[in-house]
Amino acid sequence: MNALSKDVGTPELSPLIAARGLRKSFGGAQALKDASLSILPGEVHGLVGANGAGKSTFIRILAGLLKPDAGEILVDGRPFVAASPHHAGEAGLSFIHQELALVPDMTVIENIMLGLPKRTRLGWVDWTATAREAVPVARRVGVAAPLDAKVKGLSTAENWLISIARALIRKSRLIVMDEPTAALSVAESDRLFEIIRGVRASGVAVLYVSHRLDEVLDLCQRVSVFRDGRSVAELAGGALNRRALVEAIIGREQTAERVVGRASAGPGKTVLSVRGLTRAPKVRDVSFDLRRGEVLGLGGLVGAGRSELARLVFGADRPESGTMTLEGATFEPRDCSDAVKAGIGFVPEERRADGLVLTKSVAFNVGLANLGSLVFSPWLPFIVGGRRRSLAQAMVRDLAIKTPDIETPVGKLSGGNQQKVLIGRWLGVKPKVLILDEPTRGVDIGARGEIHRLVRNLAQGGMAVLVISSEPEELPDLCDRVLVMAGGRIVRDLSGEAITRHGIIAASYADAQERIHA
Amino acid sequence: MSDITLSARQLSPSAKAALGVFARYGTVIGLAAMIAAFSILSPDAFPTVNNFVNVLNQTSLAMIIAGGLTLAVIVGELDLSIGYAASLHGVLVTGLIVQTKLPVPLAIVVVLMLGAVIGIVNGLIVTKLRVNSVIATLGVGTIIVGLSFAYSAGVPIAAGVPDEFLDLALGRWLFGVPNPIIVMALVLGALWALVERTSIGQEIQAVGGNPSAARLAGINVDRIKIIGFVISGVCAALTGILLASRLGSGTASAADSYLLSAFAAVFLGSATLRDGEFHVFGTFVGALIIAFGFNGLNIFGAPTFSQYMFQGAILIVAVGLSSLGRMLAET
Repeated sequence: MNALSKDVGTPELSPLIAARGLRKSFGGAQALKDASLSILPGEVHGLVGANGAGKSTFIRILAGLLKPDAGEILVDGRPFVAASPHHAGEAGLSFIHQELALVPDMTVIENIMLGLPKRTRLGWVDWTATAREAVPVARRVGVAAPLDAKVKGLSTAENWLISIARALIRKSRLIVMDEPTAALSVAESDRLFEIIRGVRASGVAVLYVSHRLDEVLDLCQRVSVFRDGRSVAELAGGALNRRALVEAIIGREQTAERVVGRASAGPGKTVLSVRGLTRAPKVRDVSFDLRRGEVLGLGGLVGAGRSELARLVFGADRPESGTMTLEGATFEPRDCSDAVKAGIGFVPEERRADGLVLTKSVAFNVGLANLGSLVFSPWLPFIVGGRRRSLAQAMVRDLAIKTPDIETPVGKLSGGNQQKVLIGRWLGVKPKVLILDEPTRGVDIGARGEIHRLVRNLAQGGMAVLVISSEPEELPDLCDRVLVMAGGRIVRDLSGEAITRHGIIAASYADAQERIHA
Repeated sequence: MSDITLSARQLSPSAKAALGVFARYGTVIGLAAMIAAFSILSPDAFPTVNNFVNVLNQTSLAMIIAGGLTLAVIVGELDLSIGYAASLHGVLVTGLIVQTKLPVPLAIVVVLMLGAVIGIVNGLIVTKLRVNSVIATLGVGTIIVGLSFAYSAGVPIAAGVPDEFLDLALGRWLFGVPNPIIVMALVLGALWALVERTSIGQEIQAVGGNPSAARLAGINVDRIKIIGFVISGVCAALTGILLASRLGSGTASAADSYLLSAFAAVFLGSATLRDGEFHVFGTFVGALIIAFGFNGLNIFGAPTFSQYMFQGAILIVAVGLSSLGRMLAET
């Protein structure tokens, strides 16, 4: 008893897990440059950082999904290489993600015991013994649903509890939770926090990854901050406060380098006007105006509702409430084809999955939104070869698309050139509004500059451009005005000199503050 | 999927190149080899103009229905109702002529329109009710079987079919070429032009290649899918009409077996000249392979059961070659 309490109180308690100097790069991009982190037994350890700081990469290495380029991980002081998720599980590490890996068509108890059912001598599943083991754990974490209910109909909160029960029954010593409250209500979150505290009291450690700083402050004994692939701070005790966290996340404000010159003419008259647009829970009561010749940025954290907002404007989803007008006329797109007819173009985030027909040629992909202008006549819709060729050649020339020729399958081009093909598709149409979702993700630095110049040129030509980007540097470079979204709402409207990396990130974390005040 | 790509990545470049040539040109080489082999083995009966015209004439109906099916598979769906639908159309067209006493051209137009309606029904079930196309068209096809038997009471409608109608499939109105060949050439030519040369064709290919990308490029994906089913349905009707004319009767399950040969032709075709991509010219080559295969088996007096075995085997080889081509295109 005495020895035990002394043990817990000892500050130099040896860490359960210690990662040192982890590095990992993908192609040219270095996701982790130098990341270290140690977790003590029975602590809730927070991990925070802006988008792209390297948190996900770190977790994936821990889970055995990625191999680090350099650095070491120690479990109980011994070197550990998670060669596979199975291996990580055997070492006592459990991972719970936003998209929980439960089997919807199986019952609660089957999910908890998945992979380790008790068997009778005949090899049948011994349900009595299985239940004997699962029921106490399920009670402990407060699973309220009947244990023989299918997981399919249960709430996200209940899913989290089941996942935690599953981790406990496997005698996990560390449970990694990635954005646990992203889809939970305030009451559900509170219940989850209680469970996490209970788990901790039983000696299990938790790595709590979240954008919500107030939760992190509330729950965690120590917090590690990642920035640009490095672990930049480890805060605990009196040093652990909101201000310190935000400062560590943002870092010192870099010199405001504005590579691209802005349109001096000033924005023209309003093209798109959005009022009270709502599709809960991702988009709530969003209003804004987009003007001719303006590049409007949408900033915020991943999951803030920006892509979902873009889908509403483009007619890919239908809003629950709210109105839009396009050049003064009511705009209610029932499908993307309506939005295109009305004069809106969209370059999606997942260009390979949602943008391009990869096996088809550059000319085919460029032409896809321009078919009306390529045909002989609407009643004799034969493609005129010369027009198809000259459109594709014009785009290859104007956008400096690097391709052997216009009949090359677009899947064979580099990421940056694929992106230019997608943008080129809309240039022929000359839309009034062009929406770009993460236009430079996975694009090399040279192509990135070219794409930025291109966007500025389009705006100068009178197009209204809406740019979504999760890269903190991109929006200050590119935009006349930036709306920052958090929790489905627009929380800040930045323009002129106020558009800084610092300002955008600070506003992105406004959500947590709001929740506390609410 | 990822397992397959992985295994293709492990191949050496030269092995991949060889496989690529095999996947693209295998069917054409196979067709040429088959014709050469049959010509050597049976120099008197096989390599004659008469036999070739005969083979083409016999397979024209399968080519028409397979051409329609090609459009349905290009938009990314399967249409299992075509064989049963063609049977119904055969029964119906003879019934309308013999029993309802409709003029032959009018009866044909009515039946072609019914083919379009079946296509629309299939398309609406798949796009609006979001039923998997295999299930949807199997269900519609089974209902159609019921309709065929209900209309004909299971008895072939044969008595009193006018020569005007029989002449449709048996006549040789142009330079002594059998009519089915001419119809087939027109239909496949039109389908080829539609897919490869028109804006609708580009939309059809985009919907099949990446439906999400097509939608975000402003294409009405549901409309394009319905068009695919309608073309498939109309081609099934045309095959049903020509078959009834050739047989001189409308029989409730006469055209059912066209389903299998159409699928074999379409999948063989996707492994022809392109990497696992469905296209009209490929379907034509695929149907030729099957036709010459059957013709050879007949000439050598192979028993009936072997023809089933040939057809089953060729379907599996066809789909295998098709996915091999796609796999190589992805890596």
